[in-house]
Amino acid sequence: MAVAIAAARVWRLNRGLSQAALLLLRQPGARGLARSHPPRQQQQFSSLDDKPQFPGASAEFIDKLEFIQPNVISGIPIYRVMDRQGQIINPSEDPHLPKEKVLKLYKSMTLLNTMDRILYESQRQGRISFYMTNYGEEGTHVGSAAALDNTDLVFGQYREAAVGAAYAAKRANANRVVICYFGEGAASEGDAHAGFNFAATLECPIIFFCRNNGYAISTPTSEQYRGDGIAARGPGYGIMSIRVDGNDVFAVYNATKEARRRAVAENQPFLIEAMTYRIGHHSTSDDSSAYRSVDEVNYWDKQDHPISRLRHYLLSQGWWDEEQEKAWRKQSRRKVMEAFEQAERKPKPNPNLLFSDVYQEMPAQLRKQQESLARHLQTYGEHYPLDHFDK
Amino acid sequence: MAVVAAAAGWLLRLRAAGAEGHWRRLPGAGLARGFLHPAATVEDAAQRRQVAHFTFQPDPEPREYGQTQKMNLFQSVTSALDNSLAKDPTAVIFGEDVAFGGVFRCTVGLRDKYGKDRVFNTPLCEQGIVGFGIGIAVTGATAIAEIQFADYIFPAFDQIVNEAAKYRYRSGDLFNCGSLTIRSPWGCVGHGALYHSQSPEAFFAHCPGIKVVIPRSPFQAKGLLLSCIEDKNPCIFFEPKILYRAAAEEVPIEPYNIPLSQAEVIQEGSDVTLVAWGTQVHVIREVASMAKEKLGVSCEVIDLRTIIPWDVDTICKSVIKTGRLLISHEAPLTGGFASEISSTVQKLCRIEDYPFYKRGKQTKKSKLLGQAQWLTPVIPALWEAEEECFLNLEAPISRVCGYDTPFPHIFEPFYIPDKWKCYDALRKMINY
Repeated sequence: MAVAIAAARVWRLNRGLSQAALLLLRQPGARGLARSHPPRQQQQFSSLDDKPQFPGASAEFIDKLEFIQPNVISGIPIYRVMDRQGQIINPSEDPHLPKEKVLKLYKSMTLLNTMDRILYESQRQGRISFYMTNYGEEGTHVGSAAALDNTDLVFGQYREAAVGAAYAAKRANANRVVICYFGEGAASEGDAHAGFNFAATLECPIIFFCRNNGYAISTPTSEQYRGDGIAARGPGYGIMSIRVDGNDVFAVYNATKEARRRAVAENQPFLIEAMTYRIGHHSTSDDSSAYRSVDEVNYWDKQDHPISRLRHYLLSQGWWDEEQEKAWRKQSRRKVMEAFEQAERKPKPNPNLLFSDVYQEMPAQLRKQQESLARHLQTYGEHYPLDHFDK
Repeated sequence: MAVVAAAAGWLLRLRAAGAEGHWRRLPGAGLARGFLHPAATVEDAAQRRQVAHFTFQPDPEPREYGQTQKMNLFQSVTSALDNSLAKDPTAVIFGEDVAFGGVFRCTVGLRDKYGKDRVFNTPLCEQGIVGFGIGIAVTGATAIAEIQFADYIFPAFDQIVNEAAKYRYRSGDLFNCGSLTIRSPWGCVGHGALYHSQSPEAFFAHCPGIKVVIPRSPFQAKGLLLSCIEDKNPCIFFEPKILYRAAAEEVPIEPYNIPLSQAEVIQEGSDVTLVAWGTQVHVIREVASMAKEKLGVSCEVIDLRTIIPWDVDTICKSVIKTGRLLISHEAPLTGGFASEISSTVQKLCRIEDYPFYKRGKQTKKSKLLGQAQWLTPVIPALWEAEEECFLNLEAPISRVCGYDTPFPHIFEPFYIPDKWKCYDALRKMINY
């Protein structure tokens, strides 16, 4: 409720419009039923009232010409639980997760970080072709994943398909939520607009999780949008929305947990915009020093890192120490290296499989092409890296 | 007052003449020239009113599927959808305006019968409709999406080509959206112009992973649509909108399937193979009659039915028999699907040294009466070999298609590959 009031104030809406805003941000009824259809279809027609009758909007008249000013100076506030030193700010927001769970969060984030380092290096060594790291964003992945059930569906991008899957899950009474991750750049695609609108109109149990990390490859957010980020778009579609500190794994956890509960109970979408920072390059094909300063990157790495903040929390709880840190670093490195070397030793699948799974069954013409390749390799096989592939 | 009465009487005559507009401009000077007057005769009007470029020929009443009912094309689609929703509880239908019955009435009655969670409108967003449908299908439920006109399918092109078609392949068969079917009205309709007449099958033919199916009649439509819905691959089903009302025949009430990727030889012949799909099948059928009557030529008429994956064998077998091929479609010539058929057939039916198989050859100058001789015992396995060819094509393959322009409005009668253009091309092939 505090968020709602703050949001309404922040937007500096006049009386009629703020009523509409609160309507969108209202809490559901105690029974948690699916949201009712907007009341505009049920207005009474009375010639005595000078109320608007338009089917398209539920609003009052105003006789003053006034444009709504988009507020980007003080936008939607950012929910957080821990400060940058890992201390809980408001004890009532502490999720009070048990030690094992918090350790699992920490180890997941650090294992991911270790894997990123090793795989980035391996690309530089030519052992893999391409890689994208998660530096700085570990909190968004792990915090949100920790709040989901094992049977929930996860879509990385594919915003519209995620909505369809959520609709099917609703029809099947599956008690599943669908979560769809995307960046602030991907939020500019028409796909995001379509996904939001369909999720809202068709009342789908879906969480749209936007990782706003400041850059889409080299494009900063100032060139990606002019509004108040992605969270501000949600209410435009009739979607419950929140902005969180993505580097605060508890804030991410709390928001996702509550969004999941309500999305499934009330069959409505939720939008979470997790603010974070992309510490690494966009990918192994990118050198971000071409478009941003090293100082900027260092600030985030040193002053506001999700792993550091959670580590401080763990240390202050007495659940972790330097010894364990050293041991875990060694162990996680070894885990990754073993898995990597095992994968490297495996030959790649037989080139015949190039033709499989285009359709459920292989069409006759495709089989002919498969045979054509096989014949070609019989004659010219020496020019192909067949040694690395299954016979 | 008299003037008013006269004017009123005149207006009543205008209305009585009917909404179609049996109008004829009167020559004459002054104000009279600006007014339209009712036509003098009905025949006069009929000549000016556009006549359809084809005649729908119903197939004989099907006997093997139980009780039938006279249905037009949109009713046969409704019947197929009704059957699907009845036997598959996960099946849902969605798109723009489908809830009230659809702009072509294909979904009339279904929302009342199956509920608003199974037959529902979506916002006006084709990429959303298809993307949403993919998501439903990924969970294993049956998704039947409607794109209101094939002309509007392009915003969904990325979803179809990059997502739906590749879903199974890119996940190594861990996931798929095979239970997705997209239905869309297709083809010329007499007055559709640029954005209500298109036949975009060629764009999708270039996309491995989807199936594209086009029926020629209500009976074909129901069987093929049911096969698409049940097929384990994402399918696009184009419905020739000009046939929605114009084509009516006996269609079984119960569900039945017509196999995909199988062309149908609807009329056997010996001198030339004619291939088309959708509405154009009825055009080439008529051309076949004209050829018989005026030229004494025997045509083999084939309805391709599935555009991809297409039935290469049936077409090639036919061309081996006849030595001549004419393909016709409304879509523009360049890059149209006729070019794919043409290219494949000429490769498989090229001049080559094949001592074991020859056709009794007719010389170009010999009269084309009677059956062409050919040897039939073709070992099936050899069909698979690329290098094979059996035939000396008697004439270059002919394509009679739309021009390389957007589909025009008032010029439609000149644009479409009508029977006269097809007949002329056939005549040239025979005389080659």
